[in-house]
Amino acid sequence: MQAGVQESAAKESFLQMVREALGRNTPLLHVPDHPALKTTLPRHQEKVVTIQAKVETRRSTLAARLVETATAAGWYVYRVASENEAALKVGEIARGLGARRAVRTNEDIFRRVDVDLALRNARVASIVLAAGRQRRRGELRALALQADLGISGVEYAVAETGTCVVVPRRGIARMTTLTPSALIVLVEEAKVLENLDDLLAIWRLENLRTRGRMPNYMTLVSGPSRTADIEFTLTTGVHGPGRVYLVLIA
Amino acid sequence: MVTVRSAQFPKASAKAIQDPHLQRLLGRIMRQLRDARAMAVDDISEQEWELLRQRARDIKAEAINHLDYYLDLLDRSVRRNGGYVHFVRTAAEANETVLTIAKRQGVKHVVKAKSMVTEEIGLTAFLEREGIETVETDLGEFIVQLAQEPSSHIVVPALHKSRQDVSELFQRKLQTQPTTDVDELCGITREKLRERFVEAEMGITGANFLVAETGTVVLVTNEGNGRMTTSLPRVHVVVAGLEKVVPALEDVGVFLKLLARSATGQRMTSYTTFASGPRGPSDEDGTEEFHLVIVDNGRTKLLRDEELREALYCIRCGACSNVCPVYGKVGGHAYGWVYSGPIGAVLAPVLTSQKQAKHLPYASTLCGACRDVCPVKIDLPKLLLRLRQHAAEGGPQGRRINTWMERLLVRRWSGAVRTRQAMERSLGLARLLQKPLLRSVPVPLRGSWTKDRDFPVVASESFHHLWKARLGRTES
Repeated sequence: MQAGVQESAAKESFLQMVREALGRNTPLLHVPDHPALKTTLPRHQEKVVTIQAKVETRRSTLAARLVETATAAGWYVYRVASENEAALKVGEIARGLGARRAVRTNEDIFRRVDVDLALRNARVASIVLAAGRQRRRGELRALALQADLGISGVEYAVAETGTCVVVPRRGIARMTTLTPSALIVLVEEAKVLENLDDLLAIWRLENLRTRGRMPNYMTLVSGPSRTADIEFTLTTGVHGPGRVYLVLIA
Repeated sequence: MVTVRSAQFPKASAKAIQDPHLQRLLGRIMRQLRDARAMAVDDISEQEWELLRQRARDIKAEAINHLDYYLDLLDRSVRRNGGYVHFVRTAAEANETVLTIAKRQGVKHVVKAKSMVTEEIGLTAFLEREGIETVETDLGEFIVQLAQEPSSHIVVPALHKSRQDVSELFQRKLQTQPTTDVDELCGITREKLRERFVEAEMGITGANFLVAETGTVVLVTNEGNGRMTTSLPRVHVVVAGLEKVVPALEDVGVFLKLLARSATGQRMTSYTTFASGPRGPSDEDGTEEFHLVIVDNGRTKLLRDEELREALYCIRCGACSNVCPVYGKVGGHAYGWVYSGPIGAVLAPVLTSQKQAKHLPYASTLCGACRDVCPVKIDLPKLLLRLRQHAAEGGPQGRRINTWMERLLVRRWSGAVRTRQAMERSLGLARLLQKPLLRSVPVPLRGSWTKDRDFPVVASESFHHLWKARLGRTES
């Protein structure tokens, strides 16, 4: 309690210092006139509906653009016609990599794309990093660290930048897309947005609608983990996956 | 606190220019960075690029001009998300705050993602002194930490190290086998740092942007160390300068397009992470505790000066250094502090001390290349001139440092050139006196000023006079 009082006093005196530096003595009386803050929930909802309609009508163009930009960003991109083909493609990639242990999230997409069977056929052990009823968090973590392949769905993809948007929702999804040395993401064409602005508008709606209780973590993945810190020479896989595969499902 | 060595700029820059190893690396890498940026900018139309820059600048201006409002909003959003916010005024206070969190959580090992403000406050060295093992995880920062050197570029910290240097360093400090293969050097780093990530109880990051409305920290990394740092340890501490706040999520998109292109010439950095507080009750992954430390450390001094205020718009892309003819020759270490290049020359006199950094505003040709590439259109030459004015005439940052002799000379000069007649008279006098004077009398301008420059000599006959004599025309 005492600490809380001290903190709010520290905050107030800090804000007063900032105000004085700006040449004011009192807090603003109104919300500043910034367009993004002035919008209301219904207006913002309308905006998102417009975006979704645009994405709907341009679906095949956006998919083609994503193939182009993702390839330029360093993804190995495969277009497949069905969920069945997608599963086969995952098996083929895993076999090609010589992967021994794969981890995957338990997103809905895996009910439609049976990667477990495909991986078994490719003789790759597949582990679902799902809710910890069976396994404790520490144990799941160790499994993720041992895996050499991670498989995940996406929340969205962004055609403009070759980006896959990953939102860990259940299980230890963060590590699935991060710690193994290779990553496969499954992207359904319906999830491809045109640009970053669309994505952020949709994400903001989520925030407005849930009154700030949106998922607390989102990562935009735009290619492999890379660095050019030694002599500006590009190298991949310094911390995250060095090889990344995007399977685009029509 | 970090030792500031900016007063050594004249000596350090002279030494850097004579260092062939550094010159080779600087020459090559600066060119590569410039080319990469140019290609990435060409990727979109010039018109759209200019539009993005203007939008980014407008958003920053909005955030900075109503900074108290947005910091308050940010604070409320982060607390709603279940995080803690600490407002601190000084570097020492910031370090103590992080230490207190670490102690309360029983933290023995810390992993750090790259962050300029933590370098500014000397957090890593401070925690190490307090017995908490703290490891930099960005490859460039990891290299300079092993070498116990400061970083030399805002985006490419180990720019001054060749692959041979890194190989020798790794052999000495990590007992690895000799290799100059960059892939192998990265592989060693992956392996060594993976252990650190697993054992760390606390991860410390900076912030590229802080979104006021949602309480979100936006973190941009290419390597993935930012994601590791915010995912594996139990506690996540964000240390950020107060200028990092932007109003809403939708404002971030503009900056993402500008930042990667300006910094490394990419369309998009590999990873952009949006972290909004600790994990929720139903999440099994992610940090248990989230702290945001908002640091002033002299920034309100910039805020107070309406002309210098725009230095707070900086998004730390390093593009100004990459085009600067001075940085390109002297490198980052010569500037003597964490921020180098043109933006460093603006920040150092205000954030450290004018006395300490008095040379830096003069470490510029005022060519304006930095202003032309700046993604938020900071008028760096104007700011450098402003600081030169402070230095000469005394400003809020310090007292007058010019001598009575300089003031006298400037007054005489102004009298001598103010009118046509006065100028002709002065030139005539100069023509008459320059030979005996320059040869024998020790005028104050001789010595250090003429060591690297020729003193301009008045021509024996003026152009005006020649024109009149040859063409027989007069104008006046």
